[in-house]
Amino acid sequence: MKRVMWGFVALVAVATLVWVSAPAVSQPKVVKIGDLGSKVGVFEGYGKYQTWGIQMAVEELNAKGGVLGHKIEIVSEDDETKPAPAVRKAEKLILQDDVKLLVGAVSSGATLAVMDVTKKHKTIHWNSVSCAEFMRTTKFHKYYFSNQPDSRMQATGLAKYIVDKMGKKVYIFYTDYAMGQSDGRQFKTALEKLGGEVVGVAGAPLDTKDFSPWFGAINQSNPDVLFLAFAGTDSLRLMTQLHSFGMTKKYKLAGIDCFLLQQDLPSIAEPMEGFVQLNHFSPYNPDANMQAYNARFKKKFGTDANIAAGSYDAVLFWAAAVERAKTFDSDKVAEAHEGMCVDNTHIGRQCIRKEDHQVIMDMHLYQVKGGKNLPIARIAGSDSIGEAMVGKDPVEGFTWEIKKK
Amino acid sequence: MSRALTWRAVLVWAALAALPALPFMSKFYLLLAFDALLFGAIAMSLDLLMGYTGLVSFGHAAFFGLGAYATAVLLERGIVSLWVCLLFAVLVVGLYALVVSYFSTARRGIYFALLTLIFAEVVYTFFRYTQTFGGSDGIQGLPAPSLAPGFAIDTPLRNYYLVLVYLGLAYLVCRILVTAHFGRVLVAIRENEDRARFLGYNVQRYKMAVCMISALITGLGGALYPGRSAFATPDLMLWTVSGELIIMVMIGGLGTLVGPVIGGAFFVLLQEKVSSYVDWYFIVIGLVLIFIVLFMPRGLLGIRGLLGGRRWRATA
Amino acid sequence: MDYLVAVLLPQLLHGLVFGAALGLLALGLTVIFGLLGVMNFAHGELYMLGAYAGIAVIGLTHSFWAALVVAPLAVGAIGALTEVTTLRPLYRREPLYGLILTFGLALVFREGARQIWGGDMRRILPPFTGSTPLLGMTYPNYRLFLLAAASVLLLAIWLFFTRTRAGIVVRAAVQDAEMLDGLGVNVPRVFTLTFAGSAALAALAGLLLAPIFTVYPQMGVEMILLAFIVVILGGMGSMGGSVVAAFVIGLAQSLLTLWMNPQRVAIAIFAIMIVVLIVRPRGFFGREGVLE
Repeated sequence: MKRVMWGFVALVAVATLVWVSAPAVSQPKVVKIGDLGSKVGVFEGYGKYQTWGIQMAVEELNAKGGVLGHKIEIVSEDDETKPAPAVRKAEKLILQDDVKLLVGAVSSGATLAVMDVTKKHKTIHWNSVSCAEFMRTTKFHKYYFSNQPDSRMQATGLAKYIVDKMGKKVYIFYTDYAMGQSDGRQFKTALEKLGGEVVGVAGAPLDTKDFSPWFGAINQSNPDVLFLAFAGTDSLRLMTQLHSFGMTKKYKLAGIDCFLLQQDLPSIAEPMEGFVQLNHFSPYNPDANMQAYNARFKKKFGTDANIAAGSYDAVLFWAAAVERAKTFDSDKVAEAHEGMCVDNTHIGRQCIRKEDHQVIMDMHLYQVKGGKNLPIARIAGSDSIGEAMVGKDPVEGFTWEIKKK
Repeated sequence: MSRALTWRAVLVWAALAALPALPFMSKFYLLLAFDALLFGAIAMSLDLLMGYTGLVSFGHAAFFGLGAYATAVLLERGIVSLWVCLLFAVLVVGLYALVVSYFSTARRGIYFALLTLIFAEVVYTFFRYTQTFGGSDGIQGLPAPSLAPGFAIDTPLRNYYLVLVYLGLAYLVCRILVTAHFGRVLVAIRENEDRARFLGYNVQRYKMAVCMISALITGLGGALYPGRSAFATPDLMLWTVSGELIIMVMIGGLGTLVGPVIGGAFFVLLQEKVSSYVDWYFIVIGLVLIFIVLFMPRGLLGIRGLLGGRRWRATA
Repeated sequence: MDYLVAVLLPQLLHGLVFGAALGLLALGLTVIFGLLGVMNFAHGELYMLGAYAGIAVIGLTHSFWAALVVAPLAVGAIGALTEVTTLRPLYRREPLYGLILTFGLALVFREGARQIWGGDMRRILPPFTGSTPLLGMTYPNYRLFLLAAASVLLLAIWLFFTRTRAGIVVRAAVQDAEMLDGLGVNVPRVFTLTFAGSAALAALAGLLLAPIFTVYPQMGVEMILLAFIVVILGGMGSMGGSVVAAFVIGLAQSLLTLWMNPQRVAIAIFAIMIVVLIVRPRGFFGREGVLE
């Protein structure tokens, strides 16, 4: 009996504790934006730069009076690179912190899950990092915007170069979750359409420790090009292991844009030598806009920027849309986004396409030489963006089957 | 002390029912309260096994996760009746629990713990790597289940009351079991399994029964989860989650039923609040656990009087 | 023939390499269980700490070899400290309390490492690179070294337990600690030193595997399950058993990936484990009646 009494007291005490520590009413004239991403684990690097990109944009905007007279405040949360915590944190940001903009997430799986939340609660949702293909097709909703080239854009931009300049026989090795599967599908489709031969496909789970079990199959299929769709620390491990088995010299290398961040390249320069990828930014690109942006970034954070810092643009776009709509109301702000162009993004002028809310980006093909991402060709935005397929399945009729020649 | 339902328990339950009326109970806090009560109930069902029977299960997360996936799979296909989902969850979890409990209870102590752990790992690995169930991303974007056509459990408030009913019923079941003859046999098994066997009790059957009951309560809790989260992921079944359930029971107090509910609520709330301020949250939890094991093995409420603080045996 | 060389042989070697390191890890775990009755859930974290300690030492000395000596000693010390402060009070209590306490320790160690070294993955560069042409395939030198080093260590440990007085004392303690106490041996000290030794072995395994698997706070969580399986398969408390079982599991894992989707291999391993636990819980060489 006494136990239950004490239990009740404890419960009340805890409830009071929770109540007391509830957030205070925020100051007037402040608007909050949410920064959701991987702050730990396999994609921590991307999450960190996403936060920095946002911070730089917010600082610049606040220096000019904020947005609609409101000072912008950033609330950062870690989604642990998994859909479940991502959803919970998104709910917290939207329901408790009342953010008017959510930037995130890093992992495609998390982003897709969060899209359900932002759709339900009508929150403007910008994605600057995840590149699975479903966000602007089957999962699309009107509050979603992206300035990250998704798998389809990358495939459209890179596949031709691979087939023409690197080799016809390609082995596709991908990370087995939303992003990697998406890349695998899109690249296989694109490569085969352009006359290439995909001699094998395999997927390894996210966070695989040892990739060597898959190397036997790769060697057996005898490709010209090894196409890799991994990211973060998985990539680091994979390249180290491929190199130790002599496979980085045996095959030509190509992969997705977020395979490795520029900052990780110097430590793994030799294994990565000759690696080709499509990207929208590199600190070694002589383009004036990129250099200007990189200089500002470097001054503030002491290191070169990278593609995850595209989140800078997301905030700029959102702020411009809010100013245009003269309100924070999501429907009006979403509408204001469409077709909008902003001049001072990290690569100069960019515009949002109305149909699928994708930013049309001019990009480059890069090759890693001496630990640096150097541009080797330019791909116009209109060439890579592909047609808008909102609501349509981008991989209808796709099969993983290897067609034997 | 033998009454199945003390009026104090009713009082607490009523207070919980009135909780949403408080001014600060925003949607977010309601969701938090949902989690607190849900895991509290699950911890309570684990206490049946751990505290009363002396069997430590490191695989309870699998019962929870299976219940969640059972519901998720139905919701995904448009079968939104909550009753159908619960029934299906009972079937799925029941089948799995039958297998696990049959094999695990044949062994004692640490072997029981390890068997439950490994069975749970099989389930986790299976769901994580099977694409039909979404692989490591799980099943997302689920619609809310409905109590009756037109009445969906789609708001935090409705979810809260649903879990409150669940908690109440689970508590009733546990309380009745524990105060009946069944409960005494469990304690006898805990204290000295061989002696219980010599006294003529079919120990294996009792152990299986309590294991299954605990599993089903947990599985039903899991079945309620997708209604709140709109997804089911393999992470729900990590063995570290099973560990967290054990922590909840330890915090609250072995063998008290109510203790683990509080332990569970405490754990969930602590995690939410502390992790926002401090990211070394797990060190706190680890230290709390070590502290409890060393100095307060009876948890917040503890095994008092009746159980005389006797040594809690898991081997003969 | 081509298949044999290009695919089967490397897999065989992978299995042996991994099995050897796993043997070091599992050995410590099984000795502790046999001696103290505690299934150390924090063993995976000791493995992880070994790798991080290695990073710390390499950061100071730029020598992998120095790390190979210092890191296990450091982690061994941590092990000794932990045993004296937290585990000793539990020997009189039920073994499952030890299980739960070590689970708490694991949390503290894991999060502590994350706080100190950060959550992202770190690399330890192998002390030498290059690969050797071996029977028609090329195999990385470091992995060969690992196999050799781990095997030598296992041999050394076997010699320790069978030929030295200290080793025999430990084995006696595993058999019957009370009797040993009666004979005048300082049993608590034996416990502490053995625990420290077990920690050092785990640390060594962690450091040796680090150049292949890289270092991150979660690395222990993934290994501990495998270590448990090896210990059970070999027989809880049986040292020879755990070494044999480690190689069996290592080979099973790598060979199964040839015929199954590598992602499903874990399920196969677990299935084996469940069958063993049901049919013959004492594993290969365990003693009958111990907790059955």
